[in-house]
Amino acid sequence: MSQINVIRPGSNPNPVERVQKRPPTVTPLVDVFENATEILVWADVPGATLDGIDVHVDKGQLTLFARRADRAAGDAVAKAAPVETEQRTYDYQRVFAVPAGIDATKIEAELSAGVLKVRLPKSEALKPRRIEVKGS
Amino acid sequence: MFNRFSDFDPTFSVFDELRRRMDRVWDDYEEAAPDVAVYASTSWPKVNVLDAGQSLILRADVPGVAEKDFNITLTPETLTLSGERKTTPPEGYSVQRQERPAARFTRSWTLPYKVDAERTTATLKDGVLTISLAKAADAQPRQITVRAQA
Repeated sequence: MSQINVIRPGSNPNPVERVQKRPPTVTPLVDVFENATEILVWADVPGATLDGIDVHVDKGQLTLFARRADRAAGDAVAKAAPVETEQRTYDYQRVFAVPAGIDATKIEAELSAGVLKVRLPKSEALKPRRIEVKGS
Repeated sequence: MFNRFSDFDPTFSVFDELRRRMDRVWDDYEEAAPDVAVYASTSWPKVNVLDAGQSLILRADVPGVAEKDFNITLTPETLTLSGERKTTPPEGYSVQRQERPAARFTRSWTLPYKVDAERTTATLKDGVLTISLAKAADAQPRQITVRAQA
């Protein structure tokens, strides 16, 4: 008989297992392009700044995270009363499955005009190879 | 009878809100269609409106648009923001996925009070456009003192 653990909020005294509260995130829209040598991922992250960007590849997963700077804006905007809110100012997070041949040490990312452009160079194993056709 | 637009405004604003929410429903369907490259959009960019006491602030999420590609016009009653956002793929790459919308957008707002055009500013930073409309001097709230009547 297998044990089934029922999770009841507040009933687990072990703090490690309790779900960690994190600021909410929103999924940014991306464009993905590919050629023989690299994969490009361009994400719309308006409001993000360079020091809030975290891009890493781990076990076949590419994680993009961008902290939205105007969440903590200390200027007149922060004190203003919202009249109409069409978009909440959350941080951005998106996780992709990537082929195993991405060289994690050679990833480059640049941020301009609110667009995060990530360049993932393919390792030799992923690059397409020509197959010679031999005639008889 | 039609001088008092304030009577009609709450009714129209309810319908405006309904239309905005319906527009947002269509957004979910439109994002899934890969063939839609450019569409005249009333819901991109997303804009937040805030009231900062002395001014009205609009913040638009506009990644990928340069300052010169915006056209902001201000009349005594309305503010119009228009422009174009292109998402051309780089040369020599095949497109695996394209979610970022390319849009030619025009959005207008009816201003709830008079604004001072001279002191209106628009700044673009990190893909966020902030338009600050300073309220006209006579649109500021004024304190009225209460005098006791003998």
